[in-house]
Amino acid sequence: MSSVAVSIHESYREKLRNNRLGLWLFFVSEAFMFGGLLAARFYLWREDGVVVRPALDQQLGLIVTSVLLLSSYFMNRAETAIAHDDRENFLSGLLITAFLGLVFLAGVVIFEWGGHIKPWDGVFGAVLFGMTGMHALHVLSGVIFILIIWWNGRKGHFSADRHWGVEACAIYWHYVDLVWIFFYPALYLIGRVVH
Amino acid sequence: MGNTKSGIYRIGIVVLVALAALTGIEYIVAVTFNSAAVLFLIALAKAALVLQYFMHVYRLWSEEEH
Repeated sequence: MSSVAVSIHESYREKLRNNRLGLWLFFVSEAFMFGGLLAARFYLWREDGVVVRPALDQQLGLIVTSVLLLSSYFMNRAETAIAHDDRENFLSGLLITAFLGLVFLAGVVIFEWGGHIKPWDGVFGAVLFGMTGMHALHVLSGVIFILIIWWNGRKGHFSADRHWGVEACAIYWHYVDLVWIFFYPALYLIGRVVH
Repeated sequence: MGNTKSGIYRIGIVVLVALAALTGIEYIVAVTFNSAAVLFLIALAKAALVLQYFMHVYRLWSEEEH
């Protein structure tokens, strides 16, 4: 490798390291916000010192959770595919992930939000819509991110050697899944049903 | 399972099955004895799997490249 090639390679490595660190620092800042929402849930959804929760559709909760987990698998598959120059699985993996993300969004926005609890129903409505709303916003931005990556991928961008955009998109999507891993039991499973 | 494409795909499937199984256990725990501590521990286990195998958090400390 010539000295110029070595220098370019080193510069990319350095950039990749900084990009990764920056993305994870962003996640740390996001964790404070989602953590605050979780803390609000456990502080406000109480009656006589006992943790409670509203009666939400259990089947819906389980279905949307499963859909999001499945989407994470396909995102991982897409990232693995581009790391091995397998463009077909890369592009199809992205599309399936985006579709499953939209199914999750439909489950929350149409069915959960269309249920008996409304945002103005005291602490139950406020916390439920605050948590699911903020999370849904991240899912929506993740779907847009995935579609941008898919569009660029179709045009021939990204390769096994250079695909930071794909990696960032994948990690962002898994982060959205990670948040839901804690939101699901907090909203649907923990506490006595009261509403 | 190695670093081959099929090996990594297989790891993805194993992690997905583990996450699905933990979600099922989570649901059963909630409807049977509803222990917040157990549910929290299961959520932590799921989070650890996602962080390690899907988010590749270890890349922050390694020199792994594309």
